Amino acid sequence: MIGTENTAVAEALVKEYRRGAETVRALDGVSFEIRHGEMLAIVGPSGAGKSTLLHLLGCMDTPTSGQLTINGRSTSGLADRELTRMRRELVGFVFQHFALLPTLTVAENVALPGLFARRRAQKHADELLERVGLSHRRTHRPHELSGGEMQRVAIARALINSPKLLLADEPTGNLDTASGESILSLFRALNSEGLTVVLVTHNEALAKATNRIITLSDGKLVSDLRRSE
Amino acid sequence: MLTLAIRNLARRRLRTLLTISGIAAAVAVLASLLAFGQGYRSGLNRELNAMGIQMMLVPIGCPYDAAARVIKGKALDVSLPDASLGAVRADSAVAVAAPVLMAAIPRPTEGRTDLWVGVDRDILPLKSWWKMKQGSTWFTGPDSVILGAEAAATELRQIGDPLYSPETGKTFRVCAILERSGTTDDSQFFIPIATAQNMFDQHGRLTAVAIRLKDPSLLAGAADRLQQTPGAQIVTMGEMMGTFLNLVETVRTLLLAIGAIAAAIGALTVFNTMLASVVERAAELGMLRAVGASRLDLFWLLGLESSLLAICGAMIGVAAAATLGPWIEKAVRTLVPMAPQGALLRLNPTIVGECAAMGLAVGIAAGLFPAWQASRMKPVEAMRAR
Repeated sequence: MIGTENTAVAEALVKEYRRGAETVRALDGVSFEIRHGEMLAIVGPSGAGKSTLLHLLGCMDTPTSGQLTINGRSTSGLADRELTRMRRELVGFVFQHFALLPTLTVAENVALPGLFARRRAQKHADELLERVGLSHRRTHRPHELSGGEMQRVAIARALINSPKLLLADEPTGNLDTASGESILSLFRALNSEGLTVVLVTHNEALAKATNRIITLSDGKLVSDLRRSE
Repeated sequence: MLTLAIRNLARRRLRTLLTISGIAAAVAVLASLLAFGQGYRSGLNRELNAMGIQMMLVPIGCPYDAAARVIKGKALDVSLPDASLGAVRADSAVAVAAPVLMAAIPRPTEGRTDLWVGVDRDILPLKSWWKMKQGSTWFTGPDSVILGAEAAATELRQIGDPLYSPETGKTFRVCAILERSGTTDDSQFFIPIATAQNMFDQHGRLTAVAIRLKDPSLLAGAADRLQQTPGAQIVTMGEMMGTFLNLVETVRTLLLAIGAIAAAIGALTVFNTMLASVVERAAELGMLRAVGASRLDLFWLLGLESSLLAICGAMIGVAAAATLGPWIEKAVRTLVPMAPQGALLRLNPTIVGECAAMGLAVGIAAGLFPAWQASRMKPVEAMRAR
């Protein structure tokens, strides 16, 4: 099952967490694999476990049981230090609310993950800004940008460490239609260059633009449809 | 990382400024108090050493209070009989015995009290720091007066000028003016002892007799003999020094306690600021973890922020102590008994270093817990805190 063609493999993933006295099972035996270069959407109603799954894929959390392998390496039982290294080296995150630091310029925000990877990333940040069409905004602060521009900066930041897997949580949730389409085009362009892209979304149009849709409901995988299927 | 830390602090300017002010105030208070304590101690040592007196015959009562008052130029309520001077001078171990009669004349309209001191020529060997201005002479008659430098400046008198004392109705002639010495002598009026006794109705009375021995090794025997003088007691300068040093140590302990309170307040300020910052920035810290920051990175970032607060606070505090020192000294001098002349606030490199280090240590230590809190945040939970 774990082949070199897979970026991620999930086997019977379970994630539980405590909410007061109650134990909530956010993911309940989810299994799938994500191949290199795929672009897929994870959809489902609120509380279906989409974000939980994204966090597991992003090495921000570990499963309660089951196996999750990212780029051939299991995340189960990894120490925080190892998970941090995997996040740094393998994963790029794009957040719904952009999560840009208001005190840093656009270029500094893009280069920020490089700081934690202990490498100078400013030149690469400039290249990425060029790539997302924002090189003219490099010295601006986030509050001077539109929502679409902020999301493009966030995408550039997610790419700074050349990840294998780009994860986006409701990337168009805070954008108007035109900006959303522009962001989608950017994801498709990145995917066409071989980057594996996973989107969590409620946006049907965005989901349909991918070549695979995984649907979750009540923590269970209820469908896994590839475009060809 | 440094840029990030500076930008984070700049985000909440007022809070950052208040936090820095807290540390700066603590450092300034501590530096000023330590500098004051050190200056006070060395000033007392300097004045006592400069006197060249080994012992003093004072009226019965609290001997240390009496001797301290004589040394620091304050009038006594009790006095010695004139005859005790003869007994002292008759002792074989005594080289110099100088009678002193002190009296204070309040000048309420001028907001000060003048201290008049009756002396005779035997005082000269005991006042080695006295330098008289050109044209000065010793007392030429009973109405002669020698003015301390400050007293002459206050009264606007020159050598040869008359000096009228409205409270006593006497007119003096200025025969000498002392150069400024940085001692209490600067503000005093010296007149012949007999004149002082008449002027203040202290006929046949003395405030004290200052004594220098032929040989310091004779001190114990001479003290025992002179202790027998009726109505009088002996205080040696060693005892005086010990008493002063005890006083200084007590003051120092008090100052350190005040400094510790100031430091604790500074630490709490940093602690509060950094903890609030961690809570407010939870989502942001979660994002940093998501993009690859390790626990150590966050600990280092928050630690750097508290260190920057501490460094700025310490620097401003030391600068404030140096700048405000003269005002602080002026205020504290009025509250401290027997304050020596000269600069009391001695801000030396050791004190500056100690206080800056204290400010830094307190600031950094206070930032440790918030930094640790930040570092143990789980990325997912921190992101949910948005």
